[in-house]
Amino acid sequence: MQNTRFLLKLGLYKSGEMIYFSQLDLIHILARALRRTNLPLYYTQGFNPRVKISFSSGLKLGTQGRVDTTFYFTEQISHEKLKTELQPQLPEGLEIIKDDVKC
Amino acid sequence: MIDFKNFKRPQRYIGNEWNAIVKRKKAKLRICICYPDIYEIGMSNLGIKIIYSLLNKYPHVACERVFMPADDMAEFISQGRKKLFSLETKTPLNEFDVLGIHLGYELNFTNFLNILELGGIPLKASDRKKTIVMGGGIVNPEPLAEFVDLFFLGEFEEAADEFIGVLKKYRTKEERLAALAQLDGFYVPKFYEVSFLNNTYHFEKKYAQAQLPIKRVYVKDLNNSHYPQKWLTPHTQIVHDRAQIEIARGCPNQCNFCQAKAVYFPYREKKLASITQLITKIYETSGYENFSLLSLSASDHSEIAEIIDSSYDFFKSKRIGLSLPSLRIDDVVGRLYSKLLLLKKTSLTVAVEAANDPLRRSLNKKIDIKKLFEAAKIIKNLGVRYMKIYFMFGFSQESEEDLSAIGQFLNALNKSSGLALKASINIFIPKPFSCWQNFPMEEEKILENKRKIILSYIPRRRNIKISLAFLKKSILEAVISRADRKFSSVIYRAYTKGAKFDGYRENFSWNIWEDSMKEEGIDYRFYLDARTDNFPWSFIETANMHMSSNS
Repeated sequence: MQNTRFLLKLGLYKSGEMIYFSQLDLIHILARALRRTNLPLYYTQGFNPRVKISFSSGLKLGTQGRVDTTFYFTEQISHEKLKTELQPQLPEGLEIIKDDVKC
Repeated sequence: MIDFKNFKRPQRYIGNEWNAIVKRKKAKLRICICYPDIYEIGMSNLGIKIIYSLLNKYPHVACERVFMPADDMAEFISQGRKKLFSLETKTPLNEFDVLGIHLGYELNFTNFLNILELGGIPLKASDRKKTIVMGGGIVNPEPLAEFVDLFFLGEFEEAADEFIGVLKKYRTKEERLAALAQLDGFYVPKFYEVSFLNNTYHFEKKYAQAQLPIKRVYVKDLNNSHYPQKWLTPHTQIVHDRAQIEIARGCPNQCNFCQAKAVYFPYREKKLASITQLITKIYETSGYENFSLLSLSASDHSEIAEIIDSSYDFFKSKRIGLSLPSLRIDDVVGRLYSKLLLLKKTSLTVAVEAANDPLRRSLNKKIDIKKLFEAAKIIKNLGVRYMKIYFMFGFSQESEEDLSAIGQFLNALNKSSGLALKASINIFIPKPFSCWQNFPMEEEKILENKRKIILSYIPRRRNIKISLAFLKKSILEAVISRADRKFSSVIYRAYTKGAKFDGYRENFSWNIWEDSMKEEGIDYRFYLDARTDNFPWSFIETANMHMSSNS
C-alpha cells in the first residue's frame, strides 16, 4: 500500500498557553493539524491507523522549550512546504523554529 | 494570574482550542455558557457546541464557555483569591450579561449552584440584580425555580434570533425578562404562582403578558437550522473524543418509558446531501480522526445505508473512524452488514430493555431477539470484540421470571456468539412526559429485592460484565426529575451540606439528601407515587401535545 515513507525533522517551540498541554496532547494536536493540510500523510499500519509522528524527547508539563519532531510522508516533500502548510494549522504557542539547522 | 501548573490537568482551564472564538471584551452582549460537569464531559456535549457557534454568529455577541472546576481548582477559588472565570477571556462569571447553563442531568444541580457561588453570582434569583441565569436542556424546571431567572424549554436554534433581539432592545434585567416571557419556550418562574390544593397543582400568571401554557419550541427544518461548521476541537482528550454529525432529531419509535421521544418530538431527519457536506466541512476544519453519526436511533434514518455508502470512501482514505451509536439489530443482520464489515466497528450497543418477550412488548420496545442472536454471531466475525446490552427493571408488571431471564439471556447470548458482553441494568424511572409518567416508581424494598434476584442469576464468567444501577442514586434522580418548586429548598440545603458531583458514585451521599429532605419536611415518596394527569410540569406543552390540540 504505502510502504515507502519519507521522514522530515522539524524543531517546534512550545510556549505560552501550550505549555500546559502534555506530550500526549501534542501528538493529537499535531496529527489533527496535519489532517487539516493537504500533505501526503503516512499512517501507521495497525488496526487503528494513526498519523505517524515521533519525538526525540518530551517536555515536562508546564515548561516551555524545543521539541524535535519527526514527520512521515508517503511522498518526498520539502521542509519549506511542510512549514508553510503546517504553521497556519498550529495553535498559538506552538511555533515551527525558523532557519533551523537541518538535522 | 493563576499558576495553572499547580492544578491537576490544567488543560481544563486554558481554552485556546482549535476554532475557539475569542472576541475579547469589547462585545456589547456577553454570554457565558456552561455545562456543569468537568471539562472532559462538558466538552463532549453536542448542545454546548451548537449554541456556542450559534451565538457567536451574532456580531455584537460574545459567547464564552465555563465548566465545573475539579476539586483542587474549586478549593483555590473558594479561598477567595479569584472568581470562577470563562475559558476564552478568563472573565469572572458575574461580569457576564447572561449565564446559560445546561441542566439536562438532575445530579448536576448541586454543581450548578457551586458554579454560581464560585463565579460570584448570588444563588437565589431574587437576590440578583444584573446577571440573568438561564437554564436549558431541562424537562421539568420546577425544582430549580428559585435559582434560575429564565428557562428556555425546547431547541434553542429556533429561538436564538428573538432572544438576541430582546437582549439588544432592552438594557435592564427586568425589561429583558418581561419581554422574553412573552415568547414561546421562555419561562420566567417568578411570573407564575403555583399552588397545590386538593392534590392538584394550579398554575396562575402573576404577569399578564407571560405565556401559559409554556410551549416547547422545536426546530422546524433541521436541514436549515444552525450547525457548527468550524468544529470546536479540544487539544486534550475528552470523553467522547469525536466530531459529531447529528443525522436526525427525535425518534420514530414509541417506547413507553422514553422521555426523549416526547421531548424531541417530532422525528426529523437531516438529508443525505447536508450530512455528507457537513462531514467533509467538519473534517477540513477540525482534522478529527473519529466521527460519530448521532441520532436517537441511527438505523431509522431513511437514508442510513446511503449515508454510510457515500461517506465510506472519504472515511477510508482519510483513515477516519466512524461510530454509529444507535443501530437497530435487524439492520445489522440485513442491509448494513456489508458496510459494517468495512468500518471495523469494535463494539455494538443494543437496548434490549427486557429479556422476556411479553414484558418487552408491554414496554412497546420492538426488537427481534432471534435476529439479535444472529447478529451477535455476525459481528463476532466482523472482529467486534464486545457487545453492550441495556436492560431495565422496576416495572410493576414484572414477574420473578422476567428478572431471572436477564441472566439466562446473557448466558445464552454469550454461549451462542462467543462475544464478550457488557450489560448495563438500570431502574425504570417514570420520567416527565414519557408515556408512563403517571406510573409509580417502585418502593425501594421491592427494587432491592428485585436487584438481588437479578444478580443471583447472572452467570459468573469472565466475559460477562454487568453494571447494575445504584438504587439510591436512581431514587434521587427520579425524585428531582419529578419534583415541584418546594424542592428548591432541599437542593439548597443539600448543597450547603456539601453535596457536589452527585452523579459520581464516590461523591454521592444519600445521607445528605435524606437529611435535607427531612429537615424541609418533605416525604420524597410523594413525588414517586402514581398520579393521574396533573404534575408539577403540567404547565408545559410538548410539540406532540400542541400539534394534536391544533388539529
